[in-house]
Amino acid sequence: MALVALLVLLFIGVICVPGLYFAGAISIETVNMLGRYLTFAIVAVGLDLVWGYAGILSLCQAFFFCLGGYAMGMYLAHHGGPEGIVDANGWKMPACLYVVYPGGAGQTEAEWTVPWFWKPFWSLPVTMLLALLIPGLVALVIGFFGFRSRVRGVYFAILTQAITVAAFNFFSMNNMKFCGTNGLTRFDRIAGSFQLSEPYVKLALYVITVLALAAVYWGCHGLIKSRLGRVLVAIRDDENTLRFSGYRPYVYKLFAFVLAGMIAGLAGMLYVPQMGIITPFDMEAGKSIMIVIWVAVGGRGTLAGAVLGALVVNLLYNYFTSQHDFGIFTWKADYWPFVLGGLFIGVVLWIKGGLMGLPGQLMRLIKGSGTGTASKEN
Amino acid sequence: MRYSLAFFMAVVTGWTLSQPVAAADSSVDKPSDAALLEQMAKLAGDDAALRKQALFDLAKSGDSRLEAFLENYRTGSVYLWNDQIVVCTETEEDEDFNELAPLTHPLTGEPVLGDDGKQAKPDVSDLGDISPNRDERKLAAQGKFFLRLLSPDAEVRLSGAKKCGDPPYNIDAVELLGEIAQKDSDNKIRYTARESQLLIQLSGQLPEQNAEERIEAVRQLGEIKSLRALPRLESLLDELESADVALAQACGQSLATIRAHQKTVDRFSNVFRGLSLGSVLILMALGLAITFGLMGVINMAHGELMMIGAYTTYEMQLLFNHVPEAPQNSYYLWALPAAFLVAAMVGMLMEALVVRHLYRRPLESLLATWGIGLVLIQIARIRYGDNIGVNAPDWARGSLEAMQDVNLPYARIFIMGLCLLAVLMVWWQMNHTRMGLHIRATMQSRDMARSLGVNTRRVDRFTFAFGAGLAGVAGYAWTLIGGVTPDMGQTNFIVDSFLVVVVGGVGELLGVVFSGLGIGVLTKLVEAVPWIGTIWAKILLLIVVVIFIQFKPAGLFAPKGRLADDR
Amino acid sequence: MPAPNSIKPGNQVQFTQAERTREYLGDDPDQSRLWAERYLLFVKNLTAVFDGFKAVDIEALGVEHNELRVIIGPNGAGKTTFCDLVSGKTPPTTGQVFFDRDEITGVQEVDIARRGIGRKFQTPTVFDSLTTFENLELSLPGRQGLWSNLRRATTPEEAGQIEALLERVRLIDERDTEASQLSHGQRQWLAISALILTNPKLLLVDEPAAGLTDAETALTAELLLELRADHTLIVIEHDMDFVRQLNSFVTVLNEGKILAEGTLAELQDNPEVIKAYLGR
Repeated sequence: MALVALLVLLFIGVICVPGLYFAGAISIETVNMLGRYLTFAIVAVGLDLVWGYAGILSLCQAFFFCLGGYAMGMYLAHHGGPEGIVDANGWKMPACLYVVYPGGAGQTEAEWTVPWFWKPFWSLPVTMLLALLIPGLVALVIGFFGFRSRVRGVYFAILTQAITVAAFNFFSMNNMKFCGTNGLTRFDRIAGSFQLSEPYVKLALYVITVLALAAVYWGCHGLIKSRLGRVLVAIRDDENTLRFSGYRPYVYKLFAFVLAGMIAGLAGMLYVPQMGIITPFDMEAGKSIMIVIWVAVGGRGTLAGAVLGALVVNLLYNYFTSQHDFGIFTWKADYWPFVLGGLFIGVVLWIKGGLMGLPGQLMRLIKGSGTGTASKEN
Repeated sequence: MRYSLAFFMAVVTGWTLSQPVAAADSSVDKPSDAALLEQMAKLAGDDAALRKQALFDLAKSGDSRLEAFLENYRTGSVYLWNDQIVVCTETEEDEDFNELAPLTHPLTGEPVLGDDGKQAKPDVSDLGDISPNRDERKLAAQGKFFLRLLSPDAEVRLSGAKKCGDPPYNIDAVELLGEIAQKDSDNKIRYTARESQLLIQLSGQLPEQNAEERIEAVRQLGEIKSLRALPRLESLLDELESADVALAQACGQSLATIRAHQKTVDRFSNVFRGLSLGSVLILMALGLAITFGLMGVINMAHGELMMIGAYTTYEMQLLFNHVPEAPQNSYYLWALPAAFLVAAMVGMLMEALVVRHLYRRPLESLLATWGIGLVLIQIARIRYGDNIGVNAPDWARGSLEAMQDVNLPYARIFIMGLCLLAVLMVWWQMNHTRMGLHIRATMQSRDMARSLGVNTRRVDRFTFAFGAGLAGVAGYAWTLIGGVTPDMGQTNFIVDSFLVVVVGGVGELLGVVFSGLGIGVLTKLVEAVPWIGTIWAKILLLIVVVIFIQFKPAGLFAPKGRLADDR
Repeated sequence: MPAPNSIKPGNQVQFTQAERTREYLGDDPDQSRLWAERYLLFVKNLTAVFDGFKAVDIEALGVEHNELRVIIGPNGAGKTTFCDLVSGKTPPTTGQVFFDRDEITGVQEVDIARRGIGRKFQTPTVFDSLTTFENLELSLPGRQGLWSNLRRATTPEEAGQIEALLERVRLIDERDTEASQLSHGQRQWLAISALILTNPKLLLVDEPAAGLTDAETALTAELLLELRADHTLIVIEHDMDFVRQLNSFVTVLNEGKILAEGTLAELQDNPEVIKAYLGR
């Protein structure tokens, strides 16, 4: 079943979409958009691991996503345009940082320097490593303090959301030299001389994203089929009992949480070159909740559902945020929050299994329409 | 010139001495418009002494309208026309290139009407010129200050008194300031006049001033703990030559006193700001403590219910036609029940349609209520646009000076009172009413309560609506101190108020009060540290909360025993 | 006074509560050590206070090696709280707990579990989303570490062990059924099986017979008696028929205190016990 899902993903992702592009049926912009949505699917798989399996509702996945994204963004900004601004130490000053550089009192432009924490991100391999390690490390710290003191359920959700808000504030400050609310932009080249604006580079990034998603999917699948996956489910069901069997649940939760953080970092890293910009608004409180809704729509606790949910919700977003004329009624982009709000409510109240559970739910509805198991409350 | 200044001062001083400044309130008989116009007419005379006298008389009238007139007089825009004093600031040209002068009234500034009932526009050459000489121009300029200092309006007097002591110093006002400092009926004005007088003396610009007087001014500024003097004393100390030992010593002593005072003021202000922020947090968190603490529902739309309370207040303002120019202050009192009821009604609807399916599924209630929040925000945005202004009622403006330099805004005091009231109401509701008993019973054991005949459906609906109504009250209070936007709930409040509830211990009213005040005061004290600032304070606070949770995972007032596991 | 190693499983003469308490009044650390060596589980001056209410107040209680001790008492007597204190779920307000010669007061429940105290809760706690087999997989001894779970799958030997146990508790047909689909009795057995599989030194069994049919109750009693051969058990029970089947030494708790100890036959004639059960 999982293998089938993987093959379908690879078939559509690596063969159909590029095929359609080369046939001229879809534009490179569409491919690029799909690439971005697939990075969302990667985060969703990570969240499904912690939320769907281990039952930890994390509201800081968008933060981890942005940590990966900022890492890649700093690399791209180093190599972005326009050239020619060089600081006192001979470092090329990223243009986006130059624009919002918070010069100290009495400091002239000539004294502006590239901050030390930008420097490691000059090299692509180091950047890729750090884009995984930093979110992992941050997740380790958050998870360690959170899980060790048994912050659970909604408390953990609130804690992580508060941390995300703090991070948002942190990255928004010009003083922190992450380019403030403007974010990182003015990218140009990646991996030496590949222009990000070139269609073939966009296509390549898209294909890399598909392959990364496939790898993450397959890795997580292997994980949840192992004994460890069953421990995670047991944690979701009843963490206390597990403790009396001699398990330390926080070690397992920490493992899953760090892994999910790194997966989110990977997704952010792939997202930024395809989007061309990353700002603190990508880690707003609402963004993390969006990731949760992708998983919920697709079907919590099924990895394929996470992928499906991320794609479906974002395609819906893409459709409903443009104007449509239906004769008697004109759909406006303003109405999108109503669709989204409806999705949130609907998926919680009526389609609890998400899209993956929908066929089963419909079957039950047809078979035993009297029993009404679908709307059973507990 | 020296002679004229001395004369001017003598006249004004004489007037103030003969007529107690204490009476410079609104009760004073203002010279009638006719009398003023008569004085103005004298400006057109040939006798220089009479002209001066007229200027003095105008200045001591304290009529604020004369400020514009004196300015016009100074710039030469005042003319004599048909034996009337008129003002013309700008001339026009007609088709025949005649230069015409549209006339305005010297006091009211309204157009002077000609015989045809339209604004009179005589030819420039028909106007009698009243050009002040150099001395008179100077007198006119200074007269403006005196006008303010002698104004019957306390606020104008206060700002006048303050302005005299700011650079460039109005050295001519020194004597008058001294008078005001002794005789004005208003404490604050007396203090400010004294302060300004001393500051002028400190500036060293007074003629015939000896060094002792200056040292005395420094000493007295320290005595009255003048905060305004702080930067000036500091720069004076920097500029002083080494020979001026006595002055430097006096400066040092006064600075020490003032700095100590500054510290006290800051401490008091910060604690007050903290308590005020704490009150806002408690108001926001009270509703959450009920929906989250008692019912176990994570209401992410809580901030949006606040937003509804704020917009209800706005609607009430529209309904009562309250505008700053024509205040209808009663609107704000009516808005309180309105905000509570509207938010409670929306809450009841939410409960009936969505939330009631989600008891015991807290994580899912988080998602669904977030969705509701999105919808509510968008409705507000489509209906109201992005930013609207709620005008506070008059009594909520201004502030109470609790001690020297510590100003407590009435709006904040009101919110603290409202918070206290809300806490008492919730406490009474929970502990001293039948409904409260039912609520507590239902929350502890739903099945048992039901079997005892409690209508748990009704209790749930009521409890949720009650919590929602409290959110509405929080939004109502917020309109006094903050902006109202559709997404105000998401951006400002939801995280903070959840932190308050979590730190306080879920379901504990007292815990919410303590943690709200604690977080509020802590935030403001940390923010006040110069090298920390607002955002770092927020981040630090969060770290403190996380560390706190390490030691007290269930909050300040944790439930104990076997019950604790169910939470 | 019999020497510690002369104690054999079964019903032999025990100390009465009064005797035990007397010996502890001195609160001598050496004495404590001596007694901790004699008993597998030994608690002294143990209290748990919740909001001023003393849920447990035991001066001294010892359970010998390979003993099956039954604790009975009316509702609210503090039986389950006693288990909580021993297993580390709740920290005691005062007092000490010794297990296997070491003091375990204030040790985390995971570490207590790893030292060899297993527990079955009052309501059978099983992992609903896992199958019967998977539930037991998690209880395999020595498989609690992260790496061991990540790297090695369950071995055929381990699987055989689980299946043998499933056979014994008549759950073999439900091997791949999700635990949420099991009947109440099956869940009880699954929880007991999980406990047995962990192979702890001391088993805290809280109400194993609740909600079981007579036949099932008999099998449960049989299982527990069988375990006594090489385990120590504390069984908390309401059902007097079941207690009779266990035929072991009984401690009666009332209002947190030890009211009486002895065989069931002795206790049934004890007027204090009768009063405690019928007086409310």
